[in-house]
Amino acid sequence: MRRAFLIVLLAAVPLALAAGCGDDGADAPATGTSATGPSPDDALVRAAVAGYQEYVAEQTDQIVARTTVFTDAVRAGRLAAARAAYAPSREPWERIEPIAGLIEASDGAVDSRVDAFAGPDDPDFTGWHRLEYILWEQGTTAGAARFASRLDRDLAALRAGVSQLEIPPAAMALGASELIQEVSAGKITGEEDRYSKTDLWDFAANVEGAEKIIELLDPALQKADPELLARIESGFDDLDASLEALEEGDGYVLFCQENDEYPAPDLCPRTTVTQARIDTMKGQLAGLSEDLALVPGVLGLS
Amino acid sequence: MAESISRRRFLAGAGVLAAGGGALVAGCAEGRSPAGARQPGFVAFHGRHQTGIAVQPSPAQGLMASFTVLARDRAELAGMFRDLTDEIAGLMSGRPLEVRDPAYPPVDSGILGPEPAPDDLSVVVSVGASLFDDRHGLAARRPRELVEMPFLANDRLDPDRSHGDLLLTVQAGHADSVIFALRQLMRRTRRTLTLRWVIDGYNRPSAPGGRGTGSPRNLLGFLDGTANLATDPTLLARHVWVSPADDEPAWTAGGSYHAVRIIRMLVEFWDRAPLAEQEAIMGRHKASGAPLGAEHETDVPDFASDPEGAVTPLDAHIRLANPRTRATDRNLILRRGFSYTRGYDGAGQLDQGLAFVSYQRSLEHGFLAVQKRLTGEPLEEYIRPEGGGFFFALPGVPSRGGHLAEGLLA
Repeated sequence: MRRAFLIVLLAAVPLALAAGCGDDGADAPATGTSATGPSPDDALVRAAVAGYQEYVAEQTDQIVARTTVFTDAVRAGRLAAARAAYAPSREPWERIEPIAGLIEASDGAVDSRVDAFAGPDDPDFTGWHRLEYILWEQGTTAGAARFASRLDRDLAALRAGVSQLEIPPAAMALGASELIQEVSAGKITGEEDRYSKTDLWDFAANVEGAEKIIELLDPALQKADPELLARIESGFDDLDASLEALEEGDGYVLFCQENDEYPAPDLCPRTTVTQARIDTMKGQLAGLSEDLALVPGVLGLS
Repeated sequence: MAESISRRRFLAGAGVLAAGGGALVAGCAEGRSPAGARQPGFVAFHGRHQTGIAVQPSPAQGLMASFTVLARDRAELAGMFRDLTDEIAGLMSGRPLEVRDPAYPPVDSGILGPEPAPDDLSVVVSVGASLFDDRHGLAARRPRELVEMPFLANDRLDPDRSHGDLLLTVQAGHADSVIFALRQLMRRTRRTLTLRWVIDGYNRPSAPGGRGTGSPRNLLGFLDGTANLATDPTLLARHVWVSPADDEPAWTAGGSYHAVRIIRMLVEFWDRAPLAEQEAIMGRHKASGAPLGAEHETDVPDFASDPEGAVTPLDAHIRLANPRTRATDRNLILRRGFSYTRGYDGAGQLDQGLAFVSYQRSLEHGFLAVQKRLTGEPLEEYIRPEGGGFFFALPGVPSRGGHLAEGLLA
């Protein structure tokens, strides 16, 4: 599955909102959200972006550190240790996924699913999911070492790219919405981690990454549209409560649905996430997405 | 009831949809071009009944979307119905869309352009038996006959394509108008409604080869709708709308029981049957739509003078569906189905059929009575009910300021 990332926004950022934008709707039947709040120059937005830049750098370091634990285990042929390190290595990646996606080609190399290829044996099928396929579907570490080393190299390149990246304020603002949509489209179906069933780790990390963005934008949103902010916060509370119910040990239950499109009888002897729970989360995600999509507009970031 | 009907099933064959007729709904903005051709209009939203149920002519495109309701309490449920009401009223009346600052996502998908043109759009909101479970404390307000549609004898109900807490029925002149409305309604209710199943299809109002009535042809090739309940408000009051005098919760008055059956038609098998057999099974001539032994589609079959079934076999579909006796008069229903086609099955056969819809004052005296008579009819071999559900179409919103389900939640 390909994701819609924010590369286009890089080009759009310098276009600060033209003065006429909010004013030329005289003959339009506008109601409600037509005024803009602060601009990208606003001190509150600037502070948020600076904070986010820092967060992204931290997470990128984490990606490399945790993935090394994972890939070292793969190379050492320690299957159980490799499996145990897989989901944690993805968490920091999933927290900043829309930003990581700004680094050209990194997403395709490290996080593509098998659907983007003719089959799992395609040599271009690399990254976490190729390793996931080998470790779970094939049940071995044999043949996995070269993909582990490739992942290390690609992530090193990602870190280098991110360190050069100046995060566009609009990309940050839209990133929260992208993260939640990522969950609605890919995680809730169980297609992301279909072999390992660790989808809920990714799910929770996407949500954390989105929450972080809103936390940083809190002062700016408080000023621009406190009502929207309250709705977003209550949306996150609902989602967090749903996730909390699925916690187990240090992580989450495996994502075992009824009538799973990707059955894995060994991992999923029983349903752990009921259809009712999934339906509830679908509504929570979609409702939150609608609100998050308004954030760039409310902050005057286009 | 469930026990007895569980051995039976229903077909929706010949005879759907009231034909032609005058405009029923007051306020339906129907105009005529200088040449006399009917122009699309806006369907009035406000009324004692939901206007889309009986509006004529029946629009060419239809869609049903069934949802699971996620509202956690009565307040959220009421908010959901208020949002639906506002959005439906806006869509049906062509309310201008808000234009936002370009930094925001647009409020609509834009697929109909900046100013959606009138297209006979209507939306009907119905609720399923499951909405009256313990989630919202509505059990005591359940319409008396509303149960989950039982698994009937010939049925292969797919649970993923059956039932639901809430059903939206969208109709319009064109498919893009229908899709637009569905998307807007979902966008407005994303927190509280999640999709369960969707089916869409068409209802070509003036069937090829028909003579004047405008009845559509179904995918078996037969005119369908000839003997439907027409637009006479007296008949609709008798057969379709729940009355305050009925033994029902008071809020249901003005609403209607709403049966939906997704009936696959095994068209390859059917198309290989001899014409004479097809006509004997249906009880009508295929080309003209006339009852067997008659000349015109609208000729009324005289079953009384054919007691042995020499002209129309006793088990012909139209004879069982509507025996035209005084006793069966109370079983008349308003049919509003449409044909669907949705790809093909594992055997390489087209997956198509009839999305049967009937509205009636009582399920027991309407749909279920008809279905009981049809049990065992020869047509059964050629059809397979695969989904649908029993719903209750809410009473209408008589005036501005009110909302759908107001009585239910009062």
